[in-house]
Amino acid sequence: MPKLNTPLSEKVINELKIYDTIEISGLIYTGRDAVLPKLVKAFKEKQLENLGINLRGAVIFHTAVSPAGVGPTSSNKVEIESSIPALSEAGVKIHLGKGSLDKKTVESLKYYNSIYAVTPPVTALFSAQLKSKRVAAFAEEGMEALHELEVVDFPAIVAIAHGASIFER
Amino acid sequence: MGLTSREITEKTAEALIRASTVFRPDQYIAYQQALQKENHPQARWVLEKILKNAWAAEEKRYPLCDDTGIPHVFLEIGEQASLPAGFFKDIEAGIAMGLRELPGRPMAVLGDDYERISQSGGLSEDPGALGMAPVQVRTIPGPSIRLTVLMLGGGPEIRGKTLRVFHRHSVETVIDEMVSWAKEGAEKLGCLPCVLFFGIGRTNLEAASLALEAAKDGDFTVQSELEQRITNEVNSAGIGALGLGGETTCLGTFVKVGPQRASGVRIVSLRVGCCFDPRKATVSFD
Repeated sequence: MPKLNTPLSEKVINELKIYDTIEISGLIYTGRDAVLPKLVKAFKEKQLENLGINLRGAVIFHTAVSPAGVGPTSSNKVEIESSIPALSEAGVKIHLGKGSLDKKTVESLKYYNSIYAVTPPVTALFSAQLKSKRVAAFAEEGMEALHELEVVDFPAIVAIAHGASIFER
Repeated sequence: MGLTSREITEKTAEALIRASTVFRPDQYIAYQQALQKENHPQARWVLEKILKNAWAAEEKRYPLCDDTGIPHVFLEIGEQASLPAGFFKDIEAGIAMGLRELPGRPMAVLGDDYERISQSGGLSEDPGALGMAPVQVRTIPGPSIRLTVLMLGGGPEIRGKTLRVFHRHSVETVIDEMVSWAKEGAEKLGCLPCVLFFGIGRTNLEAASLALEAAKDGDFTVQSELEQRITNEVNSAGIGALGLGGETTCLGTFVKVGPQRASGVRIVSLRVGCCFDPRKATVSFD
């Protein structure tokens, strides 16, 4: 089972394929419907550095962060899926969530050499993998703010990589 | 001595916490049976994780899922029972108490109508501010009152729908439509295996209420021929746990058929529930 440490290199991504089970360790970002469009806007306006955010080799986990824990939300919600191309361009290497994505998104992931991985909503198990959390930006969004998590051996399965998708049957 | 305000509040809170943190025996049985049938290695990985998550949640009294859901209360009131003054207020207080103790995800949206719709007025930090959906009520024989708390997560709400079906005087027409909706919803859900809840009624409101009643009564070890048929047909799609493929797209189906009107139309309501559905627990007041 590939064990990955953030930030991720192009080479690490090149070696992954769909159905690979992976474990991610290190710092990862979180975001969902409310904050990802703001993050895209900040990238397009070249404001990421001012916000103290570095997306090179990053993982973005589509989740809220609250006292109830973390767990994937549906990545095919409009505001989340539409953020994937721009955030891949900004350097995000793994978009982590759940649910199928459109062919156009599969193509944009391939173009930027980014991948999409899915993980089950096993919040009680995730509590053991989560070592620390802090709000990284956009605190006004509360549980939907951009958070930075420190995780150890966070489990996922590669669902879309290099133009191939488990959702195409 | 009659029911006390404190008893109603505390029992309601306890039901909410149990619904959110504990798999029932019939859920364990359904997952163990699914694992026995499943050969797809990644799908097995998901099913095993869901079972381990359930054990961890119960042991730590921790939410099964971070989307702790919107509380729905279903009341069954005995024909010989009488409700004390303030009964519904005490239930509301119990829901808020349970959400704070769990803790529930603080996802109540603040502001006026426009701000709540656009989520532009911020969120409450109080998990108890979430509030429950309008209470559903049925009558039962005897002197008891049964209260069921169901916690409904948000992903399934994107995939469900309530709509008319022109039945053409054939049950097959309606079943085909139900299976088609379920497959369409499962394809996008993510948190698979799904659990399907159908209500078939005369109005949109009645059908949605019947779907919730199906969830309240649902037991994975008791499946009618109709329910098993729908489950089997959805499983034939091969979407599988977490969308990875395999045998287990749908863990079970629960259908409640209500009274019908003389018309060429049936109103069908569907919730494409997630892998933890139905998160529910029942308490009795005798």
